Amino acid sequence: MAVMLARRLGSAAAAAFLSALAVFLLMRAVPGDIVGQMLGQSGTDRSAEAALRAFFGLDRPMHAQFLDWLGRTLTGDLGRSWYQGRAVTAMIAEAFGVTLQLALFTLAVSTLIGVPLGMLAGIREGTRLDTAIQTFNLLGLSAPVFWVGLMLLVGASAFLGWSPPFIYRDFADDPGENLAIMLLPVISLAILQAAAYSQFVRGLMVTELRREHIRTAIAKGLTPREIYFKHALRNVLIPLTTFMGLILVQILGGVVVIESLFSLPGLGRLILSGLQGRDYPVVQGALLFVVLIAIGINLLVDLLYAVIDPRLRP
Amino acid sequence: MTGFTIGRRETLLAGLAIAALPRLAHANDDLLYGPADPQARRGGRVTVGSLVEPPALDPFRQAADARIRVSVLMYQGLFFEDQSGVARPLLARGAEVSSDGLAWTFPLREGVKFHTGATMTSADVKYSYDFLRDPRNGSPGAGDLSSVAAIEAPNPSTVVFRLSRPNAALPMTLTNKYGAVVPSGFFNDPNSGTRMNEVSVGTGPFRLRSFRPNSAIVMERFADYWQSGQPYLDEITFAVMPNSAAMAVALQARRIDLAVFSRPQDTQPLERVAGLEVKRWPSLGQRSLDLDCNYGPLKDARVRRAIALSIDKKTVMDASIAGYGTVIGTMVAGMQETWGVPLDRLPNQRVDLDRARRLLAEAGYPDGFEIDLTTIIGYDWMDPAALTIAEQLRRVGIRANIRRVELGVWIRNFRAREMGFTFNDWGTTPDPSLLFYRHFRAAPQGADFRNWNNEKASALLDRGQEVSDPAERKRIYTEFQMLLAEEVPTIMLFSADLLTVNTTRLRNYRQHGTGWYFGLAKAWAAS
Repeated sequence: MAVMLARRLGSAAAAAFLSALAVFLLMRAVPGDIVGQMLGQSGTDRSAEAALRAFFGLDRPMHAQFLDWLGRTLTGDLGRSWYQGRAVTAMIAEAFGVTLQLALFTLAVSTLIGVPLGMLAGIREGTRLDTAIQTFNLLGLSAPVFWVGLMLLVGASAFLGWSPPFIYRDFADDPGENLAIMLLPVISLAILQAAAYSQFVRGLMVTELRREHIRTAIAKGLTPREIYFKHALRNVLIPLTTFMGLILVQILGGVVVIESLFSLPGLGRLILSGLQGRDYPVVQGALLFVVLIAIGINLLVDLLYAVIDPRLRP
Repeated sequence: MTGFTIGRRETLLAGLAIAALPRLAHANDDLLYGPADPQARRGGRVTVGSLVEPPALDPFRQAADARIRVSVLMYQGLFFEDQSGVARPLLARGAEVSSDGLAWTFPLREGVKFHTGATMTSADVKYSYDFLRDPRNGSPGAGDLSSVAAIEAPNPSTVVFRLSRPNAALPMTLTNKYGAVVPSGFFNDPNSGTRMNEVSVGTGPFRLRSFRPNSAIVMERFADYWQSGQPYLDEITFAVMPNSAAMAVALQARRIDLAVFSRPQDTQPLERVAGLEVKRWPSLGQRSLDLDCNYGPLKDARVRRAIALSIDKKTVMDASIAGYGTVIGTMVAGMQETWGVPLDRLPNQRVDLDRARRLLAEAGYPDGFEIDLTTIIGYDWMDPAALTIAEQLRRVGIRANIRRVELGVWIRNFRAREMGFTFNDWGTTPDPSLLFYRHFRAAPQGADFRNWNNEKASALLDRGQEVSDPAERKRIYTEFQMLLAEEVPTIMLFSADLLTVNTTRLRNYRQHGTGWYFGLAKAWAAS
């Protein structure tokens, strides 16, 4: 177990370093920098431009900038936002709180809807119910998240006379307002993920229910409840765990669109506004953080495998 | 500090000189930020929806229009850029200029407090404008003050600006776009710029309470504001809205009280909603097509003229903003009456395809040519405008390939004077020198983004800045506009009306032509 963990951590560190390098180089490959953004169409004095470039350290050689950033990053210091002046770590923590809440709510809602639907469709394979659920899956998977979000927003206003608040409040400050803000974004994302879940679980159930040990269980006269939940669902759990990890990563990726659509100050919008303003410390720090999260989730899933399935333990 | 006093004779001359000054008014506080409303009552909170958010709130070093919109409520310059083109004294009480036009004396308003609690003196004014004009401090507004040689504070309530060359537009330059009066020594802290995201240190009617990026800016009434009884509102929240649809929904649900729409047609569904008011305001902005005079076929003025003669501006305006605006020639709509040349007097304004074809043939392009036409991602109006113009140019054989670029990339190309053939969307404070000088004066005095490098234009722009006599200024800028229309380094297409939608509880809000939120200083909330 310790060897496996060490090996996994080693490859994770290598991936993190390569990602850091890629993020750094990509940001600088994009034309335009913060100096142009600050001066716009007005500031035309070359000495002003040079002064600002020196202020942000952009006049230094690229490798010196990278090594400086990497050195500080290794000590946990991601620098400060060039616009806000705040520590990037604090900005990421604040934004990630919003994103994580959105992701976990979405994961919970989509799991609660998608897994039972998938099981039901698998058990009732070939029936009208199965067709109905598969139709939902198809629609859910095909509808773009931003379109669903926009339709929910306009629909809630037109038919219910209700609109979500647009100024974000933390759950701790105002739980009611926070949940009202989260409602439509969570539904928008959860429809897609529930459909994906349902489709995946249905396939697993159909395969599982055709296997010999299930036939044996039926022959033994076990109740359907025991067959589905004790024997079938248990075997579905391993691939489902992997899938949950993938879904979580996918949700974290998908929140960029939904955060922009509903004015949520999460990680996606932090990265997007940082990119637009060429706020290198923010974008580099936040993207690196996202990469580390993805690596972390994959690592966790690998370890969970070992916990769920003893055969995978060394 | 240099001890400078003005003698009686000089004051007399200054008095005579100021009589000749074009667009400068003495203090009339009732007209600042818009007319007062006798029915106004104190108190109340309002929320303003905005599609754009300032990256930061530093008025000295952030050029973003989204910053200026809100920071004008917290920070003040010496003058206010009245929509009419008058520079109204704000922190100054008036202005006196020496007979040679090289010394401007500004008596200051007394009893003005900063948000920090300190009292404003001439030392603060000198400090602030010295900081602004020093290019090493990286302000986009530094270039506008290049004619200032020295600033003196002879006594606590007077500042004197000494110029190296006359500048009739100086009061309009000392308004609220860039810089402001802040406490002396504020910038000694190297993190002062970013500190402005946490506290405001200006003299404006509102002060910053909080700024949460990607979410909201909250301002509260400044209790010690120098204009007694103002402002009326206790609190303003600027909420960052994701898109126009959400803004419309939020207005209908009364979650926001005011929104300025960038695409006028988005307000159409709101026109008949009870409790909402949709209003149109003239704009000081322009939607234009810029032509880099160093770029391929555009190097030839005949080609640029041919392009101008092929474009039907009205059709472009209808396609991109559903007609909610004014077709312009060489002046933004908000200044057309005062400074503009009537469109029928300007060359190359009416579609004439035969002449366009002839000009192209003379320039060596009888079969037209292919060219990239750049639009900026996020500027919704540009895409339909680009399609329309591409279609119009096709009639004379010019094949335009539409290329969409991200704003940061576009700014980089623009600043590097590598703009090619591109759409632009920009505004001005209401003075022709501030509108034209930076963009069209040859380097190094101007930026000449379009590589026009026209000596006659530069001479006219220099002269227009120096001359105080209104009639003479008008003549100079008329001549300049004729030249602009003949040479076509830019094609000003139209000024889009500013469209505001407000709930009926928000009263007396007037939208300034710049698009900035000055009007909130005079607005009030009905119970």
